[in-house]
Amino acid sequence: MAELTHSDEIKQYIVTKLGNEQYGIDISYVDNIVRMQKITRVPKTQPYFMGVINLRGEIIPVMSMRSKLEMEEGEITNTTRIIIIRPEQNALLGLLVDEVREVVTLSEEDVEKVSYDNGWDDSNFFVTGVGKYKDTLISLININGIIDD
Amino acid sequence: MDLSQYLEIFIDETKEHLQTLNDQVLIMEQDPENIDTVNEIFRAAHSLKGMAGTMGFKRMQRLTHDLENVFSEIRNGKMSVTPDIVDIVFKCLDALEGYLANIEESADEGTEDNEEIINLLNAVLDGSTVQPDEPTPTLEAIATPVAEVATTVSDGTDKRKFLQLPIADFEINAMKEAIANGMNVFGVTVYIQETCILKAARAFLVFKGIESVGEVIKSEPSVQDIEDEKFDFDFSMFIISEKTAEQVQKVIANVSEIQEVVLEPFTPEQAQSVVPVETVATIEEEKKPAVEEAKTESTNETASEKKKPTADAKKKPVVNRSVRVDIEKLDDLMNLVSELIIAKNGLVSVNAYEGGSQTQQFNEQIEYLERITTNLHESVMKVRMVPIESVVNRFPRMIRDLSKKLNKEMELIMTGEETELDRTVIDEIGDPLMHMLRNAADHGLESTIDRIKKGKPQVGTIRLDAYQDGNNVTIEVTDDGAGIDVEKVKASAIKKGAITEEQAEMMTDKEAIDLLFQPAFSTAEKVSDVSGRGVGLDVVKSKIEGLGGDVEVHTVLGEGTTFIVRLPLTLAIIQALMVEIRDEKYAIPLNSIVTVEDIPTTDVKLVQNKEVITLRGAVIPLVRLDQVLDSKPLEEDPENLIVVIVKKGDKQAGLVIDNLIGQQEIVIKPFGKYIYIHKMFSGATILGDGEVALIIDANTLV
Repeated sequence: MAELTHSDEIKQYIVTKLGNEQYGIDISYVDNIVRMQKITRVPKTQPYFMGVINLRGEIIPVMSMRSKLEMEEGEITNTTRIIIIRPEQNALLGLLVDEVREVVTLSEEDVEKVSYDNGWDDSNFFVTGVGKYKDTLISLININGIIDD
Repeated sequence: MDLSQYLEIFIDETKEHLQTLNDQVLIMEQDPENIDTVNEIFRAAHSLKGMAGTMGFKRMQRLTHDLENVFSEIRNGKMSVTPDIVDIVFKCLDALEGYLANIEESADEGTEDNEEIINLLNAVLDGSTVQPDEPTPTLEAIATPVAEVATTVSDGTDKRKFLQLPIADFEINAMKEAIANGMNVFGVTVYIQETCILKAARAFLVFKGIESVGEVIKSEPSVQDIEDEKFDFDFSMFIISEKTAEQVQKVIANVSEIQEVVLEPFTPEQAQSVVPVETVATIEEEKKPAVEEAKTESTNETASEKKKPTADAKKKPVVNRSVRVDIEKLDDLMNLVSELIIAKNGLVSVNAYEGGSQTQQFNEQIEYLERITTNLHESVMKVRMVPIESVVNRFPRMIRDLSKKLNKEMELIMTGEETELDRTVIDEIGDPLMHMLRNAADHGLESTIDRIKKGKPQVGTIRLDAYQDGNNVTIEVTDDGAGIDVEKVKASAIKKGAITEEQAEMMTDKEAIDLLFQPAFSTAEKVSDVSGRGVGLDVVKSKIEGLGGDVEVHTVLGEGTTFIVRLPLTLAIIQALMVEIRDEKYAIPLNSIVTVEDIPTTDVKLVQNKEVITLRGAVIPLVRLDQVLDSKPLEEDPENLIVVIVKKGDKQAGLVIDNLIGQQEIVIKPFGKYIYIHKMFSGATILGDGEVALIIDANTLV
């Protein structure tokens, strides 16, 4: 969040779709985007983790973004993708989304910051702000928020 | 030249010497008359002193100097070994270890003078017939590992290679000037032992030593070449020094792994005649008498101790040809081998999937590849293996100290020190083993009086036996003491509120003994220095389980206790049984599996509302893996259950699975971060088709 407060800052986001909503993921975190593949279920883990996948010999946990954002589970379709992000130097995490649309560039004035003391509920803690792009709104995902749990 | 690059060698060697000292002093304590032991100690102390001096660790040098003096007296028969002396010597060794620890940490020996120990050592010396302050020069010369043998070797070549050095005019002038100033000029040829690994370091120490007593005016090969190790096992030089030939020689000989030092006074006149290399042969003739003289002189000095060099040669272990490798590089290698095994498994599964449509030749090649990868894996593993000796060799000394401290007579018998374990395991296993030995000494063994009363041998025995057992290494720590009193354990647990009286009554002996591994539990009635603070066995257990091993206790009241530690040979690649539960695949490590059984559903009985089966007379609880793993329930129960019998120590359990896939070599991979992993999974692995399978840690289910 802190970095968003810097003035005249320009950031690129990968725009993904979950249901009818658009979510943006800061591109500097993104390592890779892969097609849906076999996910091995991990019993007794957090409910929003779908399991683990093998990416080039590394085991990577995959989180369902729908489940994490408390949306109902969607179907796996041809457009379903796993976005591999690197929140820390030596740790990878997969985020399952319905679709990956495009990369957008947002400057600071395009982003309305989320402030938690005026009526936002908890489920929006995973969002740092809302970006305006053309005629659409993009919720910007707080990476630290989703891993810090 | 920078001394710090030799620090590592110094540390390694000092450790080795200290270990030798500890070992030998223990032997000496048992057998004070053994002159070989005393010689050995003296030599080790002397080398230590020399090394410490070379590296500039003055305090350490001073302490070893006094230690050496004590042993020179003993060796000369002027003093005999008493328990007091042994105690002081051990204190001294501990202090030296303290210095070493400081040096390892900060490359500095610290400021502790250990005045007290030095005084004690000197008091010992005062008690003997010789002045303690007077270093015994003859002895020092003798103790150097250098053999003062003939200057010419048997095949007739002159060992004085320095005579063949071409000398420039200005060098001759320098010599003349030095002689005019009352200095001595020497020609020196140093032979390094052929087993020496770091010749350059040795040579450097020689130069360093010479610099402290004089100046090198010429060397062949050049200092630069020597530094780069561009020389065989000898090098020659001319030096100018105020000191006598003996003194200079001593300085050089103080460096270990030096085979021989040939040193003679040299005059510029000789040099002049030497200059044209062609004439060397004739000049040799003229010089012979001078050589003879020098030789007799030096032989006289060492005549009394002629046996030294041979003994020394025997002591130095023959060094294998070896290379030091950073453990990280080995880890990388291991990772690559793991990847290779995964790739190979992929090929194998493709082949199986294609259903034998491949040619015979293809199959043969795959089998060949399998053999190679398995061998490669084994070789890499072997490279990482270290004998447990490096951990256990400090224990005899520890037991000896405990014996004194606890005032109990005891001895430690160790077998299987050569058993090898993965480096990562070795690094971790020392503390748990030490805990167990202390326990055996403190809690296990009875006091000497009690032992006599019970009619047991007065001296208690503690054994440490290590051996390889399939893919495991087993280490047993046994004492012939009182055994564990189960009732006492229970009573203590009740008192501590760990269990209720009702629970205690229900408990089997085995369960009661397991209480010992609970945190904050100690049966010692008195808390002693040695053990009994209640931290110990639980730490031992968690550490060993962290390494993928387990601990077990066997005890017979009045006869003794055995702790059995099982450790996996390696941590990264294991043999596992692949099983299927519904449509999911799981791996169960082979080392925890006893058998696989086909059990008719009708044979499953209920005991206390839990499912059990009876197998060869043993009642084994069943674990329905599908329930544990939250799998989709089956519509109807099958007629037969496939049950994998697993064990943890003596306990067994039957894991119910749907299908067996087969045995496979698997690579254990860590789960990524962020995801919570239940403790029943010890890791994940990648199967031949790229799919991920979880590894079930059967220990957590028993």
